[in-house]
Amino acid sequence: MSKAEPQYKPVTVDKPIPVNFDLGNLATFDPNPVETSQLEQNKEQYLADLNRDNVQLMINQILSLPIKTTTESANGKDSSLTLVRLPAPTTDLPREKPLPKPKPLTKWEQFAIKKGIHKTKSHDKKMFDEEKGEWVNKWGYKGKNKELDDQWLVEVDEKHVGTDKELIDPRSLARGERKKLIKKNLAQQKRNLRNAE
Amino acid sequence: MIKTNPKNARAKRALEKKESKLVENVKTALFIQGSTGTRLLHDAMCDLSAFKKPDIKRFQKKNDIKPFEDASPLEFFSEKNDCSLIVFSSSNKKRPNNLTFIRTFGYKIYDMIELRIQKNHKLLIDFRKTTFQLGLKPMFVFNGPVFDSHPTFKHVKSLFLDFFRGQTTDLQDVAGLQYVITLTAAEVEEGKALPSVYFRVYKLKSYRSGQKLPRIELEEIGPRFDFTIGRVEQPSPELEKEAMKKPKQLETKTKKNIETDGMGDKVGTIHVGKQDLGELQTRKMKGLKSRFDQVGEDFDDQEYEYANDEVVEDYEPAQKKQKV
Repeated sequence: MSKAEPQYKPVTVDKPIPVNFDLGNLATFDPNPVETSQLEQNKEQYLADLNRDNVQLMINQILSLPIKTTTESANGKDSSLTLVRLPAPTTDLPREKPLPKPKPLTKWEQFAIKKGIHKTKSHDKKMFDEEKGEWVNKWGYKGKNKELDDQWLVEVDEKHVGTDKELIDPRSLARGERKKLIKKNLAQQKRNLRNAE
Repeated sequence: MIKTNPKNARAKRALEKKESKLVENVKTALFIQGSTGTRLLHDAMCDLSAFKKPDIKRFQKKNDIKPFEDASPLEFFSEKNDCSLIVFSSSNKKRPNNLTFIRTFGYKIYDMIELRIQKNHKLLIDFRKTTFQLGLKPMFVFNGPVFDSHPTFKHVKSLFLDFFRGQTTDLQDVAGLQYVITLTAAEVEEGKALPSVYFRVYKLKSYRSGQKLPRIELEEIGPRFDFTIGRVEQPSPELEKEAMKKPKQLETKTKKNIETDGMGDKVGTIHVGKQDLGELQTRKMKGLKSRFDQVGEDFDDQEYEYANDEVVEDYEPAQKKQKV
């Protein structure tokens, strides 16, 4: 081929010192010294030739990597993609930000470790309501903890009998209790955040 | 540090996006014009940002900053815009057509280098060539041994790789290999100024070669810059160590007992526990069942005692019995 079309450059390139690759970054590092005399005389042509040889070497390397073909369908047309599996990058580059710090433990988590308490089962939001015969939320929208709110008749709690709370609507008492828990939890979150700083 | 308390969920999400991650996002580049910037520098920054799109931000207004004297405004911009690569342009008599490339680590200056554009530049628009699609991963070629030996050129190499490499991926579309960014530098000679860095960008053209591998030709698409290296600020060793840290969570764990031998075959070692032959299941026969044992009626005294002794002494393996 080289005789018939001498202007064509060869597919294989020989270098005195073998070229290094970082295929994860698609990079080639040529340790062969650059000829200063060539740079002064015909710089652009020399640079173009030098780079062509190195790119040819890199393409040869890339195409010899394991190849995966997949089909992608866009706009009703199927087109096949040829993907090359690249190795991990080898050149060390600085990170943008420091490594993320592990999240500080909350007060409860510290206590649980100290006492050896483990989470037993997943904290599921749904529970089975025997009366309704269906799965309901434990809390939140139509939550089980709001059951009292829409009852037409509610018993007065035994512990409130004889106290000043006896005459207050038990529904609003239950609601107040719920709100108190939310407030307490928010306060705990705040304290944990403060301690984490 | 700019401290903010998120007032709503959207602001909170935006803050979370800014937090440091195990696997990092692509670094965003910020292009800032200095108060002395020229038309050429503006165009050069446009061209450089074309390769980095879409991960760029560009300032329209000029800023009076002197990076090597007081870099705190740059740190502020870096944090405010969440950009860790900054290109700053300035031009004066002593340092004409100067681009300062700055990298930050955790919104603090990591390193800085001044690259001055020499006279024989050629911009993208001067080439008038068809270019490539947006957001493609470029290829890199670094010519010259200085890029592995001289600290300043190592810095240049690391900077350009970091700047243009885009998303790291393990699967690369072959059709996406469209252009190559090349940097060339001659040898460093003692007593002389550092050699220029030649920045060239080419588009790939592949032809059938009759063999399996294609024949590659290059076509220069620009921009073409010859950079003179100016002032340099290297990172301190502690900062560099901190920035080069690799997260432990991402290290691949070596699996025990699985090896690859010289031929590239996977070899597994299986550990089986010690076999107790006394427990071995032999042929089952009705007559050997325990309910047919004759211990009650005519039992040999000697054997009985021996068996008894054995239990008292220690739990010896069944082999001993066979010897006697």
